[in-house]
Amino acid sequence: MIQTADLSNNLEFFAQLATDTPSYGADWLESLRREALSEFLRLGFPTTHDEQWRLTNVAPILRTAFVRPGPRSATRQQLAHLIGTVSLRAIDSHELVFVNGEFWPEFSSTKGLSIHVGTISEAIHRNDQTSELIARNLGRQTAAVVDGFAALNVAGFRDGAFIHVPDETIITQPIHLLFLTISGDEPVIVQPRILIVAGHGVQATFVQSYAGAGETANLANAACELCIGANARIEMVKLQRETPQAFHVAHDHVRLRQGANFQSLVINIGGALVRNDLAVILDGPGAEATLNGLTLSTGRQHIDNHTMLDHACDHCPSHELYKCLLGGSSSGVFKGKILVRPGAQKTDAKQTSKSVLLSDEAVMNSQPQLEIYADDVKCTHGSTTGPLDDEQLFYLRSRGIEEAQARALLTYAFARDVLYRTWHHGLRSYLETLIVAELHRLHLDQAT
Amino acid sequence: MALLEIKNLRAAVGGREILKGINISINSGEVHAIMGPNGSGKSTLAQVLAGRETYEVTGGQVSFDGKDLLELSAEERACEGLFMAFQYPVEIPGVTTSYFLKAAINAIRKYHNQSELDAMDFLKLIKEKSKLLEMDQSFLNRSVNEGFSGGEKKRNEILQMAVLNPRLAILDETDSGLDIDAMKIVSKGVNSLRSPDRGILVVTHYQRLLNYIVPDFVHVLRDGKIIKSGDKNLAMELEARGYGWLESPAVVA
Repeated sequence: MIQTADLSNNLEFFAQLATDTPSYGADWLESLRREALSEFLRLGFPTTHDEQWRLTNVAPILRTAFVRPGPRSATRQQLAHLIGTVSLRAIDSHELVFVNGEFWPEFSSTKGLSIHVGTISEAIHRNDQTSELIARNLGRQTAAVVDGFAALNVAGFRDGAFIHVPDETIITQPIHLLFLTISGDEPVIVQPRILIVAGHGVQATFVQSYAGAGETANLANAACELCIGANARIEMVKLQRETPQAFHVAHDHVRLRQGANFQSLVINIGGALVRNDLAVILDGPGAEATLNGLTLSTGRQHIDNHTMLDHACDHCPSHELYKCLLGGSSSGVFKGKILVRPGAQKTDAKQTSKSVLLSDEAVMNSQPQLEIYADDVKCTHGSTTGPLDDEQLFYLRSRGIEEAQARALLTYAFARDVLYRTWHHGLRSYLETLIVAELHRLHLDQAT
Repeated sequence: MALLEIKNLRAAVGGREILKGINISINSGEVHAIMGPNGSGKSTLAQVLAGRETYEVTGGQVSFDGKDLLELSAEERACEGLFMAFQYPVEIPGVTTSYFLKAAINAIRKYHNQSELDAMDFLKLIKEKSKLLEMDQSFLNRSVNEGFSGGEKKRNEILQMAVLNPRLAILDETDSGLDIDAMKIVSKGVNSLRSPDRGILVVTHYQRLLNYIVPDFVHVLRDGKIIKSGDKNLAMELEARGYGWLESPAVVA
């Protein structure tokens, strides 16, 4: 195990962690990994001198001497307990469980699902159309690798989830991809990966959850690619509920074809240092994207949400609503970039960021970033940050409702406003119950 | 004993004194109107009575049903039977009107050691009162005041008043922003609440509302003081002659 007291050595350290991951006999994956590794070594990790990382300092991650988790590195008993708290089986969801980057079929369930849902490794081994689909799409959603973290994932992800939904298929139950990080005495690094290819006319709901157990500061460096065919209707919910000490960095890339309708909800509850990068490209006329976010933070958490909406085509509407509830001395960042390319006429983009500071020490930094190159477009953005609305509080109190109850009511309402936009009813109820419980557990419903 | 007795009430906001010694006495069963030019302190009076902490009471006393009103918090005043209909009712996304009304009703019942209202009785009550105010039941599932027109917001205020059954109802410029039809509906609601057990204080800038909610007493507020009191005819006179003809506070009628 290598110590990383000296930050300048750490690229090699992380590169070492990244080598020795299998390519499952696929030459294309091997060369993709090689390219990614050299990109990683060239780019290094982002620093606060990089504009996109100005407000999030990843030095704590770089200073940690991670180890690679061994195979089958958790006991069934440990897992059964943890999975019980984060499983979505109760809402009739299909579920794939990955522990420390390894797939655990005995805890997974895809009964009744007729489409291909499995691991990337297994799909590659099939050596058929499916594996061609992966070769064509994995790591290909962006022209260039975004940053060192993204490159490291391509170079070193062990395995991941692959879902292919054929044209015109409708799936009513959510498909849940659960990634767990379990550690012993030393912090582990895990690199979850997801690739979903949905054909035209598909309707489906996906959930990606990240959770874990262990007292150490583990790192989940995740990547998700979602290719959505024409006129499909897809919902993706991300539930980041890592342990309070954990680091979580994620890059999600979504590409929409003509007429597709995509809704994303990113929920952040856990993690000590978190960065979510969500990039959506509206790559066909009439494609529509809705990006919603809800972050609860307390203690000394730092949670950074960066979004990028790329209006590459005309007549595309997009909406963003990111909300944060910050207590303790936690800090949050929201940076929403909207790019309207030349020719993306009749773009209708609306971005809203709302944050409630429940303590004097909490800090929120919210910025839009607009780059508009077409002239017949509508782009609006708005941001509010402050304590609970005094007018609303007084209104409730003036009707006899006690101040403490009024505060709790408004806090739940603030959060629920995002959750009730969830398309899938079963998921919506689950999330509402979860968030009410989390607000209570984190004492965010009692803050002054 | 008067329902509401205001003695020499002084109040300030941001260090600036707005109410400079208000004296009013309202008995149960009476409808009082307070009129005055903009900036006279009408809304300030309403907000101070409701218990808004942004206003600082700098002098005087207010007794409500024999109790010291100024000692009570806003929620306690509501539970004791004081209701204020806001001039600009705020929207509360994420809190349904139904949930809000139930929470308010039950908070007041709890204060009086009564059990919570059961679901059936609650719905029956709401149905009855919303019919009175010609409001479609669908508003119950919407967030409080969200997407409501000005008229709907004001009707929602009076609906709450009808449901919460206060001893003293204060209407803060309830007619502002309303067309004639909405005003008629709102007035119908308010008038249905007239009772020997209840006092009503109507704060208004225009006389027009008082054609529909006919007051027993009219008080004119200017520069933070009541400079003239009379009956409903005073309101007509103000309508005809404006506020200018009244003497300044230095020479009180």
